[in-house]
Amino acid sequence: MAANSDELLLEDTVLLQCRVNGQNREEVIRPSASLLDWLRDDLRLTGTHMGCMTGHCGACTVMIDGKIAKSCITLAASVQRKQITTLEGLGQNGKLSPLQQAFWDEAGFQCGFCAPGILLSAEELLRENPNPSVEEIREALAGNLCRCTGYQSILRAVQVAASRMRPSSIAEDK
Amino acid sequence: MSLHPQYARPRSAAQAVELLRGLGSGAVVIAGGQELMPHINYGRLMPSVLVDISALPDLMGIQDVDGVLSIGALTVLRELKKNSLVKTSLPLLSRAASLVGGGWQVHNRGTLGGNIVAMHPLYDIIPPLLVLDAEVEILSAGEVRRAPLAAVISETSLGLGQRALITRIFLRATPPDFGWAYEKLKITEGAYGSANAAAVVAMHGGKVRAARLVIGAVSEQPIDGGAAVESLLGRPFDDHIAQEFEAACAALVTQPMNDQQGNSRWRRAMAGVIARRAISVAVSRASAQQI
Repeated sequence: MAANSDELLLEDTVLLQCRVNGQNREEVIRPSASLLDWLRDDLRLTGTHMGCMTGHCGACTVMIDGKIAKSCITLAASVQRKQITTLEGLGQNGKLSPLQQAFWDEAGFQCGFCAPGILLSAEELLRENPNPSVEEIREALAGNLCRCTGYQSILRAVQVAASRMRPSSIAEDK
Repeated sequence: MSLHPQYARPRSAAQAVELLRGLGSGAVVIAGGQELMPHINYGRLMPSVLVDISALPDLMGIQDVDGVLSIGALTVLRELKKNSLVKTSLPLLSRAASLVGGGWQVHNRGTLGGNIVAMHPLYDIIPPLLVLDAEVEILSAGEVRRAPLAAVISETSLGLGQRALITRIFLRATPPDFGWAYEKLKITEGAYGSANAAAVVAMHGGKVRAARLVIGAVSEQPIDGGAAVESLLGRPFDDHIAQEFEAACAALVTQPMNDQQGNSRWRRAMAGVIARRAISVAVSRASAQQI
């Protein structure tokens, strides 16, 4: 930190400090790097997929402080001290999360390219709204494109995950 | 222009504009990045310095000051959709923010200020801000001024310039007896709008007492529907009048756009359709308030 608060230095590189999937990270990055570049190229977290680099397709979706974002159009330098969650942060100890398991059971993955992004979008939805309607699921996934166009199985997978994850699901199933 | 931009993270808005004053035109202010990052990724924009304002506390927060909402320029679209003050006092803005393309990801990062400075003819936020008579606070080195948004975007003498920041947006709460509507026409779910319209209407005894309308996404600049709306005053909004009104709104579009969202002839026609739809919904909402 500069001693004089009026003095603001232009930096050629940025020291980025944040948490990724619960782990502290500290890396020197290029100022113009996208969050996607940093996650994939430097951290080798390749579960986050690169699709369009324009923010249209949503394959690169990650969470920043619990809110989904398209990492390809997020400046890496701007996530200073934030909590990042990528696909690799969803399951635990090599086990699929309940959401991932529902996608597996309902054939929601298909070719798998858009799946990482869709899983993160569905994750934010279900944290906020454990009992979403089909319309609400559609709205929450509007920023993700699936070129297999298998949206029906994706919608079904999110519904199944929601019903399994609700605290009352055991009673409901009977 | 540079392949390797430098980076600065000012700690206050004042420090940001002081920095901008000393930098050349290659300096670019970045907040949510939703507009700029695609251009940076593809090399269409090569800033010499990225001035990251995304964490400036003086550009955040929403306050109600005597019926006027002061909204920080960094407020994201998702917050405009969910914030209870915005939902109750400015339902039109809240609704328009929820219909922005790109999904929650973009709503979580895209800012109100960024939507204004992007000045993209197809975006959703400027038409409702104009209908609601938004004012913006602009900070440049040593000066804070407040100006109507309409003047800022139409007059170069009042324009933002390269060394200023929009810090806050001020909006008077919509009176509860006003109906409102934001209508948007899209060819597919993910596409940009082909036409949009923001409206507020007040009714009295089944007749239109007051109305405001702005039509967007059909020409380079948003279109003030004032001339067409005037003919509605003191009359009920019945089918016959609505039809006349639709034609009058289409006629306001003298330079329709011709792009992937539709050709110019169709865009002009859709301007009328979407304007009629917006006024119709606003009239229904206003009429429901009367009962």
